[in-house]
Amino acid sequence: MNTAKRDWQALLTRHEMLLLYVLIAEWLFFYFAGTTTNRRGVVVGFGTLDRQFDILRHSCEIGLLALALTPVIITAGIDLSVGSLLGLCAILFGQLWHDGGLPIPVAAGLTLALGALAGGLNAALITALRLPPLIVTLGTYSLFRGLAEAITHGSITYTDFPETFLFVGQERWLGLPTQAWIFFVVALAVWLLVHRTTFGRTFRTIGLAPEGARYAGLPVARRLALVYVLAGLIAAIAAIIYTARLGQAKADAGTGYELFAITAVVLGGISIFGGTGSVHGTLLGVAAIAVLKNGLACLPVVMGMNAAEEMSGLLTGALLLLALTASVLPKILSHVRSRPHAPAP
Amino acid sequence: MKKLLHLCAAGAVLLASLVTASAADAKLVVAMLPKSKGNAYFISCKAGADKAAKELGVQLLFDGPTDSNAAKQNEIVENWITLGVDVIAVAAENKEGISTALRKAQKQGIKVITYDADAMTDARSFFVNQATPEGIGQGLMDEAARLTGGEGEFAMIVASLTAANQREWQKHIEARLKEKYPKMKLVAVRPCDDLKDKAQSEATAMLSANPNLKLIMAICSPGVPGAAEAVKQAGKTGQVKVMGLGLPNENRRYVKDGVTDSIILWNTGDLGYLTIYAGVALAKDELKKGAKTFKAGSLGTFSIVGDNILLGKPFIFNKANIDLFDF
Amino acid sequence: MKTYFRELSVAAALGVVLLALAVFAPAFYQPQPLLSLLTREAPTLVVACGMALVIISRQIDISVGSQFSVCSVCAGLLAARGWPIYLVLPASAACGAFLGAINGALVAGLRLPSIVVTLATMVTLRQGLNLVRQGEFVNLPDGIQWLGLGQTAGQWLIVLTALGLLVAFGLALRHLAAGRLVYAIGSDAEAARLAGLRPQLSTFLVFVLLGALTGLAALLNVAQSPQVQPLSGSGLELKVIAAVVVGGVAISGGRGNLWGAFAGLLLLACVAPALTHLHVEAYWEKAIQGAIILLAVVADGLRSRKGGHR
Repeated sequence: MNTAKRDWQALLTRHEMLLLYVLIAEWLFFYFAGTTTNRRGVVVGFGTLDRQFDILRHSCEIGLLALALTPVIITAGIDLSVGSLLGLCAILFGQLWHDGGLPIPVAAGLTLALGALAGGLNAALITALRLPPLIVTLGTYSLFRGLAEAITHGSITYTDFPETFLFVGQERWLGLPTQAWIFFVVALAVWLLVHRTTFGRTFRTIGLAPEGARYAGLPVARRLALVYVLAGLIAAIAAIIYTARLGQAKADAGTGYELFAITAVVLGGISIFGGTGSVHGTLLGVAAIAVLKNGLACLPVVMGMNAAEEMSGLLTGALLLLALTASVLPKILSHVRSRPHAPAP
Repeated sequence: MKKLLHLCAAGAVLLASLVTASAADAKLVVAMLPKSKGNAYFISCKAGADKAAKELGVQLLFDGPTDSNAAKQNEIVENWITLGVDVIAVAAENKEGISTALRKAQKQGIKVITYDADAMTDARSFFVNQATPEGIGQGLMDEAARLTGGEGEFAMIVASLTAANQREWQKHIEARLKEKYPKMKLVAVRPCDDLKDKAQSEATAMLSANPNLKLIMAICSPGVPGAAEAVKQAGKTGQVKVMGLGLPNENRRYVKDGVTDSIILWNTGDLGYLTIYAGVALAKDELKKGAKTFKAGSLGTFSIVGDNILLGKPFIFNKANIDLFDF
Repeated sequence: MKTYFRELSVAAALGVVLLALAVFAPAFYQPQPLLSLLTREAPTLVVACGMALVIISRQIDISVGSQFSVCSVCAGLLAARGWPIYLVLPASAACGAFLGAINGALVAGLRLPSIVVTLATMVTLRQGLNLVRQGEFVNLPDGIQWLGLGQTAGQWLIVLTALGLLVAFGLALRHLAAGRLVYAIGSDAEAARLAGLRPQLSTFLVFVLLGALTGLAALLNVAQSPQVQPLSGSGLELKVIAAVVVGGVAISGGRGNLWGAFAGLLLLACVAPALTHLHVEAYWEKAIQGAIILLAVVADGLRSRKGGHR
């Protein structure tokens, strides 16, 4: 058991190291290939500081959703509703501020509470009724987006937010994009929770063997509930940052973000079967995708093809498949005759 | 394993330096942002833009979200800012959202021009105006009234419930309806998610739910052929008219079969062409604030009202003239 | 009765909706529009049959929407090149089977989790198609629409093909050894292996089958209009999975049947036309669909809690 555990840890480390190498190689490649001097003699492209800040700025919302999903997936769950919840929270925030006449901080606070409440709906269905998270969150995925559309009739867009609020999404504070600080704080908090508290370590136990955890006397239902509430809360934070970055709140905010976030988490080495994974892995996954996406758009070849969007999607998918295959290859090679069993979805 | 990775990294750097060497040229770079890339409307815009770019000897970048997505539009514009392009031409998915990024571009000395859908006026120099939302709304409603004789029920198919321009057009259509055609009644508005198949399903349901329906108006380009197919299948050709905003090529078949009566659109190729010409003129300081006219290559002279460069009136395509157009 | 509680309750919900439509919007029941609506849903039903098998065997495939698009465009391009319909049909199914085989090989061969594998193939296929086609419509030659028959005959053929497949797979799942095997690997793959079955091979084949059915469904959809939009099929995966799950197929594998999936599909498919017929504004559509899914699973959860086991 002990050696098996050490092997497993070694594998984990290897995955994250591998990802780090990919990230560095990616970055170096784009640094050299994506940086040029333009007609006016100014250095432009991937190698500029502005570009690096933009990458950071653009990654915050998806990064936050990926952080929200990290504990969820570690407990062998999933939450498909985070993108829709981002949309719902964005328009609720807009409504509270614009129609409700509340000051921004109060509106933001209430939005966070509502986000946690929505996460609580997922949590209640998943833990109290012991329903599969995939299906529950598939339902709330439709429900949250549907509510956002129903509330605004699809058409209302909240804009004209005050400058002080837009500062959060569009300006820099202490040298970095303001929202990056929020992102770092959340990342640190989630990291501490997952890696440095006994509380957070039980997530892994639950992910590996929920029945075992129950027999060991862990309050499995309560821990699971917390994970989904936390996901709702973080989605609400992402919603506020999104609103500040674009300066508008609308029902279509965050459409499709859940897939990017899940991709980042899985790329970061978290097994969808639960029980393994790390927050730093997730962060590396987010960074790898963000650098790929932004870097490709700076490549002259890709620019000539006018296909940066499609190429980045295509390569992200390919990278994910590659990472998956790489993660099981050693296992397959060493246990050619291991016990076959069908993996759960 | 580690060595292999080092090798890979070194290889990447080497490859990268090769790519860079070939990329240095001194052409003016114009970046053009559509609302969504796969949309036939913008593909035909691009054809005109390509032609203009070739004539002017500039490099054209054309990129946009693969679905209509305001956040992605901002990211792409911000990317172009750090790429140091000379001109950015934008069809805004969302007025306020995109303007943040456009102002940032202007601050960096990049010329900004909008086409198809405008941003906030302080975030761009000129707007290449193919038709105002008001003009489009009134044009559509007037044509609908002409087809139905100004009375009876009609229904609408829109792209999605959240698309900004669709809401804008719908608003003007409803305003015109109220003001001029009291005998007409809008009985249903359904979204098709820019999917032709879904438009067909929705139109089928509309037809059976509203037996007195006299016309379906689709204001997104995949919606028109979808609605036409539904009407054709229901055997109501001629009895229920189909019209809307769409491209000649996607609707040719139905217009010829007499299912679709008319589609309204400006010449999208010309829109792209004019946008690029105006953008380049702006960058070369040939087009200045307060100009009254603008000459765009082979298309001749266009008039400017305020800061709007006018493309001209929308065109109505029907059985008689559709074969003269290929886009 | 008790074993089929879930299927029956979905059927009952469907019955209520249909009854409400009969009372408040009898226009819903005109034969021709109804046939058209059924024809529109036929391709989804074909995909749902395959999806039910995949979910019963405790896997999932979220790439079916992208597969559907790729097959549609391939079929369209072949037809545009003058291939006759009797060749386009197997080609489309083969294209789907090939895409399904990729998923199957990764899931069964490398033992990778299906949700992640198909997430990756979903993105890759969709963006690849965008890259190659740039959203351009494919115009079809005459003779492809309605499979070369007249409209009414074509519609009946499409609907009956879908229903025929449903009945065939439904019965096979219940009565054939191969069908029971799907349940076996879904409820306990290890036990199935010890019993001398080959779960990995079966898993692979189930994915191939879903792919082939998706290819076939794509053609049944292509045959309904004279042009193909590359975007077709986007969002199909969620629609199909929701239908199957609402119909009582357990996401944890080993339970459910096609009749339930059929009822679930009809129930969800009814929402949009029902709103149109009842003249309700479209804004609530997504919220209602989400609520139906949640209600279905909550009902399931409450019942299994009462029963003490699932």
